[in-house]
Amino acid sequence: MGYLAETNVLFYLNDALIQLLEHREEYTQFGVTRYFAEYFSSVKNSNHVLFREYNYIKATPHNRASFIKVFWRCFRQIGRSGDVLSVAEYSSVLQLLCPDFPVELVQSTARIVLVDDTVDYLMSFADFLYAFQLQFYYQEFLASVLAIYQDLLYGKNPNTVIVPTSIAVEQLPLLATEENSTQELQEGVEASTLAECINGLCDRFKQSHPPRSCMLDVLQQSPKVSYYSFLMSLSKQDAVNAHIGAL
Amino acid sequence: MAEKRRSGVVGTTTTTTMTSSSSSSVPPEAKASRSESDRLLLSQLGVGELLRGAILKMVEVRSDDPIGFLADHFCNLASVSSPPPPPETSGRTDPPPGSAFSNNVLVAFDLLSDAAPPPSPPGGVAPEGPTEDGGSGTAAVGPGASGSGVRGRLYTQTLRCLCGEGGVPAATSAPLVSRLRCRDHEAVPYDIFRQGVLTCAAFSDFIRQAQRLYAEVCCPAEGPASRALCGAVLGTLREALETSRGGGEARRPTDAGVGPGGPEANLKASHYLEASAKISPDKVAQVMARGAAAEGAGGEMDAKEFENAAAELFIARGGLGGLAMHGVLSGSVICYCV
Repeated sequence: MGYLAETNVLFYLNDALIQLLEHREEYTQFGVTRYFAEYFSSVKNSNHVLFREYNYIKATPHNRASFIKVFWRCFRQIGRSGDVLSVAEYSSVLQLLCPDFPVELVQSTARIVLVDDTVDYLMSFADFLYAFQLQFYYQEFLASVLAIYQDLLYGKNPNTVIVPTSIAVEQLPLLATEENSTQELQEGVEASTLAECINGLCDRFKQSHPPRSCMLDVLQQSPKVSYYSFLMSLSKQDAVNAHIGAL
Repeated sequence: MAEKRRSGVVGTTTTTTMTSSSSSSVPPEAKASRSESDRLLLSQLGVGELLRGAILKMVEVRSDDPIGFLADHFCNLASVSSPPPPPETSGRTDPPPGSAFSNNVLVAFDLLSDAAPPPSPPGGVAPEGPTEDGGSGTAAVGPGASGSGVRGRLYTQTLRCLCGEGGVPAATSAPLVSRLRCRDHEAVPYDIFRQGVLTCAAFSDFIRQAQRLYAEVCCPAEGPASRALCGAVLGTLREALETSRGGGEARRPTDAGVGPGGPEANLKASHYLEASAKISPDKVAQVMARGAAAEGAGGEMDAKEFENAAAELFIARGGLGGLAMHGVLSGSVICYCV
């Protein structure tokens, strides 16, 4: 059972059955074996996330990586033509692929790119893509890091942070929307202290997180670091890109 | 198919606007009725058995890429269960769609085939016996036959490359290649090309499995194993081979009504199962215990010698029998190592 759980196979089998029952007239005409062959082939080739709901595309690491890959494949022309888009435009583009993709996640991505809460600024495709990859793939981990960062900023003991595994990330309060909180988030904390806390978080975090050594390397680059500057540097690391494996 | 898929209730607590709204507005009796009809449909389609078989195989193999494994598994099943295509006048049978190996072989054959027919040889076509190239030759088609094929020299090189890339030393694979090769000037048709490629791929895998068997059984970290012990293990391989001989040499069903589930296939399967039992972990353990008692007598056998001896067993069977042997050993080594 451990092997099945680690590989998320039961999740895909469950989804395949649901889809089969919902579209039975169409999917049974060539036989169920052919249906399962096509379903798992599309999962293997990362074509399975197109036009699916948000809960599905974020359900497994493979789905998240596949969505990032599909986003890049479909819209890399934006990068080639050098266009810069706003948050609303990137959100619309993402919703072409996933109708209920939350705008909050696009806003969080913009904050990484812009190191600011001014979400009206325009962003290049490359900057947005790598920041989006980081934010979307590791969203739960980043939420925990943000909680730790805020505790450090306000002088609280970060060891009391509870990992929000059962709370949807979109529901977490976005303190950066308030001006004074934004300023505080930009002030920065001791990089070494944050590194220690992140090290401890990685030991107990059950879901995906960026390579530990990569995060620690970034935090060694300056004595003080702000949350968004940390994420911006992290998004540009080759090791992170290789770990996700989508681009 | 992707564009057809829409929301499904996948067991998450957060619902979206696209989620099918049936869960909140459908009365309980309608939900129960729908659930019953779903269960009935899945039962009629045989989905339970299909998935159970797939999961058992997946757990047995424990592939690093379980999704890829399932994709290939269902593709292979789908290609077996689909009706065979009508015979082609060119003599080449295209593989059923979804069979990854067959598709790859076909693509390779097309790439390697000459556009123009090969030039006429100085003599006639001699399908058997030693050739002037030193190979024993196979039933390749000489020039003038309908359709082109892969040049004999290219075919032989391909077989050598396959064995080499599979990690088999040239000296180990040389006897097999010499049995399968064709004359340089001959044109090899698709069926023979496919059979040769399949045999070499199976042979490469067989040698790797034999290497694993030596490592698992004979503990090379402690130095070469005793000859008696290795001989005993090889003896079980030989015995399994003799038992599988009936399955490997089962004639292809010529009756149109006999398909994969027919009596010929069942006989074949039972021979393989019986052969697998000959090399099951408990059987090998018994043999090892007897071999250990005779340890010291007859010196040692290193991994290379063991590998060569196993290769001789495969090559001596040749063709389908060798493939059967490969299937027996693969399953048994996996079971043993797990």
